[in-house]
Amino acid sequence: MQSPHYRTRREFLATSALGMGSVALAALLRDEQLLAAPHIPRIGRAFDLSAKPPHAPPKAQAMISLFMHGGPSHVDLLDPKPELTRHDGTDYQGDITYSFKNRASKKLLGSPWKFAKHGQCGTEVSELLPHLAGIVDDVAVIRSMHTDINGHEPSIWFMNTGKAQPGRPSLGAWMTYALGSETQDLPAYVVLSDPGGHPVDGVRNWSNGWLPPLYQGTVVRPTEPRILNLDPPEHLRGLRQQQNLELLSDLNRMHLERHPGENDLEARIVSYELAARMQSAAKEALDISSESEATRKLYGLDDDATAEYGTRCLIARRLVERGVRFVQLFLGGQPWDNHNNIRETLPAICRRTDKPSAALVTDLKQRGLLDTTLVHWGGEIGRLPVTEGEGDKCGRDHNGQGYSMWLAGGGIRGGITYGQTDEFGHRAAVDPVTPNDYQATLLHLFGMDHTQLSFHYNGQDQKLTDNRPCRVVNEWLA
Amino acid sequence: MKSTKRLARLVLLCGLSIVGAVARGDEPAASLTFEEHIRPILKAHCFHCHGGEDETEGGLDLRLRRLMADGGDSGPAIMPGKRDESLLYQRVAAGEMPPSQDKLSAADVALIGEWIDAGAATARDEPETLKPGLQITAEERAFWSFQPIPAAVPIPSFSASDRVSTPIDAFLARALRAKELSFSPEADKAVLLKRAYFDLIGLPPSREELAAFLSDDDPQAYELAIDRLLASPHYGERWGRYWLDVAGYADSDGYTSEDRVRPFAYKYRDYVIRSLNADKPFDRFITEQLAGDELTDGNFSQLTPEKIELLSATGFLRMAADGTATGGIDKDLAANQVMADTIKIVSTSLLGLSVGCAQCHDHRYDPIPQTDYYRLRAVFEPAYDWKHWRTPDARLVSMWTDADRAKAAEVDAEAAKVRAEREARQAALIAEAFTKELEKFPEDQRDRLREAFDTAADQRTDEQNKLVELNPKLNISAGVLYQYNPGAAEELKKFDERINAITAKKPFQDFIPVMSEVPGQVPETFLFHRGDHEQPQQSIAPGTLTVCAPPDAVVDIAANSPALPTTGRRLALAHWLTGPGNPLTARVLVNRVWMKHFGRGLVNTPADFGAMGETPSHPELLDWLARDFIEGGWKLKRLHKLIMTSTAYRQASAYDEQAAAVDADNRLYWRMPVQRLDAEAVRDRILATTGVLNLKQFGSPVPVKEDAVGQIVVGPDVPEGSDSPVGHEAFRRSVYVQVRRSQPLAMLHAFDQPVMETNCERRVVSTVATQALMLMNSDFILDQAGYFATRIRKEAGGDPTRQVQTAWQLAFGRSPEPDELKRSLAFLAAQTSVAPPAAPPAAAGAAPPAAAETASPEKVDPLVNLCQVLLSTNEFLYVE
Repeated sequence: MQSPHYRTRREFLATSALGMGSVALAALLRDEQLLAAPHIPRIGRAFDLSAKPPHAPPKAQAMISLFMHGGPSHVDLLDPKPELTRHDGTDYQGDITYSFKNRASKKLLGSPWKFAKHGQCGTEVSELLPHLAGIVDDVAVIRSMHTDINGHEPSIWFMNTGKAQPGRPSLGAWMTYALGSETQDLPAYVVLSDPGGHPVDGVRNWSNGWLPPLYQGTVVRPTEPRILNLDPPEHLRGLRQQQNLELLSDLNRMHLERHPGENDLEARIVSYELAARMQSAAKEALDISSESEATRKLYGLDDDATAEYGTRCLIARRLVERGVRFVQLFLGGQPWDNHNNIRETLPAICRRTDKPSAALVTDLKQRGLLDTTLVHWGGEIGRLPVTEGEGDKCGRDHNGQGYSMWLAGGGIRGGITYGQTDEFGHRAAVDPVTPNDYQATLLHLFGMDHTQLSFHYNGQDQKLTDNRPCRVVNEWLA
Repeated sequence: MKSTKRLARLVLLCGLSIVGAVARGDEPAASLTFEEHIRPILKAHCFHCHGGEDETEGGLDLRLRRLMADGGDSGPAIMPGKRDESLLYQRVAAGEMPPSQDKLSAADVALIGEWIDAGAATARDEPETLKPGLQITAEERAFWSFQPIPAAVPIPSFSASDRVSTPIDAFLARALRAKELSFSPEADKAVLLKRAYFDLIGLPPSREELAAFLSDDDPQAYELAIDRLLASPHYGERWGRYWLDVAGYADSDGYTSEDRVRPFAYKYRDYVIRSLNADKPFDRFITEQLAGDELTDGNFSQLTPEKIELLSATGFLRMAADGTATGGIDKDLAANQVMADTIKIVSTSLLGLSVGCAQCHDHRYDPIPQTDYYRLRAVFEPAYDWKHWRTPDARLVSMWTDADRAKAAEVDAEAAKVRAEREARQAALIAEAFTKELEKFPEDQRDRLREAFDTAADQRTDEQNKLVELNPKLNISAGVLYQYNPGAAEELKKFDERINAITAKKPFQDFIPVMSEVPGQVPETFLFHRGDHEQPQQSIAPGTLTVCAPPDAVVDIAANSPALPTTGRRLALAHWLTGPGNPLTARVLVNRVWMKHFGRGLVNTPADFGAMGETPSHPELLDWLARDFIEGGWKLKRLHKLIMTSTAYRQASAYDEQAAAVDADNRLYWRMPVQRLDAEAVRDRILATTGVLNLKQFGSPVPVKEDAVGQIVVGPDVPEGSDSPVGHEAFRRSVYVQVRRSQPLAMLHAFDQPVMETNCERRVVSTVATQALMLMNSDFILDQAGYFATRIRKEAGGDPTRQVQTAWQLAFGRSPEPDELKRSLAFLAAQTSVAPPAAPPAAAGAAPPAAAETASPEKVDPLVNLCQVLLSTNEFLYVE
């Protein structure tokens, strides 16, 4: 197996261009200039995934989003509410929109779990997240997120595509469209899916929308085949496919000799070489057998509860280490959607994800990658301060008015909390943050100006933040 | 200025727009005028708060120079001659204005400064009074695309050396000459025929067709070949697909993740294909699509073939995503979204303008006031009628006969009985659940609660309202009954099963999705403040774009046409679109046809003929083509032939370094570009080459499905080991494969087939490793390679040389070159000597394949390998 290589893109191009003429190299390098002006019209020419410089020097170069869809209960995890605890069992006096009426109640439910200050910064975190507690000095906890929509899908669209409307490009699609990828041996935008199946709303979570299809997320499946069409079928594996590709390359070169100067033909020849390399590079990147015992333990691979999610967090690190731009982890179904029996279901999903999530930050930091890798942990909504259902088996209903998430690395200031919900945790009250603010800020970390990053579609300059009023949250920046 | 505009345009074309500091330095400051140079900047960034809306912020109106000099609450905004004393300049230069993040570029700020320094000139005297809103200026009116299409466009003179064979060539040759360029030599005959086949029908010529053409010395042979292709039933499948792109064709509703299937959308697809095959005049084609229903007598109970055609045409207005049949959504919002998307589709496809930008405010760049948007909306309002919304199913017109209807009524009556039983039982179950839920309350509260909930909502006392509000869990509806009594759902399901069994006896009912109005039901259209349907403002009458009318006039559309049962508004719009008063539609159409033939448009932003679009590379040619198209009766086939018989089209695509140095993007057409086949043509060519293509036309789409590993594939399975998969349903042309918005066919999606969110004006071409992987490893390509090998063996027997020769003929329509033959024979030998894999190699960390694959002789067939390689080559994927 090839040893991991972390060549720069230019080195890669220089080597791969040997023996095939330098026109393709020149063409690809010219693409790099495209964004630096003067501009050459791109329409009619192929889009690609080569690395492109952002508007300004970036802090972050890669992002890992641990997407916790379903609505993590912020008042039990990241947003301590002493008033809520004090008023446990009494009726909430304000208005509430419920999603599940039959179990609706106005009775406040104080968190059954204790919060405590951690780290030098003293950020308060629930006892359900002991591993997050260990890294709070590197983490910015955002406590004033709100979508103002209770539904899962619209809120997911809002968080992940900039607008509570289906069909738009996802965050990863925008990132790879804007910045390309640092590696051509691996997909630029990887989605690590859960053995429990797709998240709610399925494949649309990593759609390219109306951006060109090459910017859609590539799903790495939890079982073989890990990437669709990546592996040759058994009977082609090895020498047989290699000879196929050699013949293809020879025929294409003979064809190219008859059609000199055609950049697209050269680029396609290169694309087969990249595909072949991706076959081994992706295998290598997804293979964690070379990881040390200490690393495996760090991610909890020695524990059945954490082994699966830990493996994916570890793979995420391996991918960004190798130049992948954007990695997003999803869960099967809606494990954070704790309508029922929150006293058991919430600890279970925390147990499954807390250690690996924290390990990812720790590991990135140890490897010097945290400075350039933005880690996001969070979902699309939070949960209500009132109880849903009664007794020990009660839960909490959806709450789009206020919720929490955390960020680390990639230019984020560690050890802070930002924003507040009201005293009961229902609504974002101080320094509220919309998904568009969040998106504008993360584009900023990548050196991109959200008002400038656009794609001309349907006669309009479409933008991730959809031209809505929003701001870069400067307080989050290191 | 021109260079700046061009740059801005190019920035947009790049998709990524990065507004940099662009000096407009070479412009002599004295020539700056408010109307030409300053107003467009202020319109894009400032008018929204300072002039465009009812209230002007800070009392400052920037719409006229004199209003600026008058100033607002903070005093005069400009001091002519002194930029530093001008508030306007100070505020924008400091980045304080506009307050949003949409700041002016440094170049715009500089321009404003220069204009003020030079005395803040206007081009002419400013009007004494100003109507509310943004007026359309003479400069805006003078924009190229709003000029009438000239009645005659003189054809440039040319000499014999220009190789002019059609008027098109005369226009192109003039531009080439100016750069000391000329057309490339004519392409060789085989190239030309292949080009024409892919261009017109999206399929390769058969060996016989190619051979006959090559041996035909008749000078008319090429022209006759074009005539044959234009007469082919497959022409409509190719060019119809292009129209389906701009119409946003899909076989599903979209909008929500449920993405309901539209089982009858194909009626519209078939209508398009048939219309193009019939070379229906395009003005008629447009009219039928916008108002086919208004061309009938309005009686849809007995459909004649003619009526079926006209109603199917209106499917055009049913293409937008429509989530209104799905639960759990904001219905009003969804209904208004359908209308917004439809206006987008209509305006981008037929007007080449982004009218949609004016939904929330006056268009920032083009002279399209917000009122124009709602004038256009008013044309469609009676048909959509969002306050009396009809879901997609309610807009289907039945193709039943009277006999069918009678039988159906009988079945319905039977089903209604059971349905009534179900209703009664459901009510009882709800009452039961309520009583049970009530028992959880203290006894002394129960009566009051029951009374409160039993009372009709509008008759409850305040106290009762409070009780209802405080106890949401007692509010048990049919929709939430299952949450209280899981058994209830089971029980009710039994009723549903009975009902289903009865209704299954109904005669099959075929439908057409139709856009039509409910006679007599004419809703008013209101301008929506910021596009929000919950903030209606003044009432708006139907009409078309103001900028296309003479100054101080408007083109109104009659609110009602007494001769028709419907309002006739859409018919009137169609007549305006295809009539002499509209300068846009013919230009937009010929440009789109041109773009498909040459790979780039004369205006390379086919859906944006506005200020942010490209200006035409050959404006007179565009006008000449548009005029000729109109005079020729809006005939597409005539236009194809005109283009395809030109010297320009018949050029070779050989690259020329010298020409490329002058015109790298081939904007002057000094050669025919090499183009990658689009997604459908790639798949169809593969099927045609391997011999399995099923040319069956029309009808229900071939369904798609998710395969075992989650890839979207064509639904019907081809039986394993089948002797002859030829012509299987799974191998129909791509245009007949179901377009499920949430399930794009992997093979087509990889090659850039768009997912229809609204519509697609221009496809992108990408070159990525995932396409390579698709051709290296997907089941689709491996199966096809197998069929190809079978076909070759049948013809060529076992001799490798003959096999290679046959393979080349079938794949490329030519014999292999000696080096290709030699290399291929060596390949076959080398693959033969590869030992079949004994056991899966133990890839570290990788699980063994789920099903133990055996290396059967067919699977390790070197000829199959060769076939797969040929189907993946550049020669196969690109046409010259």
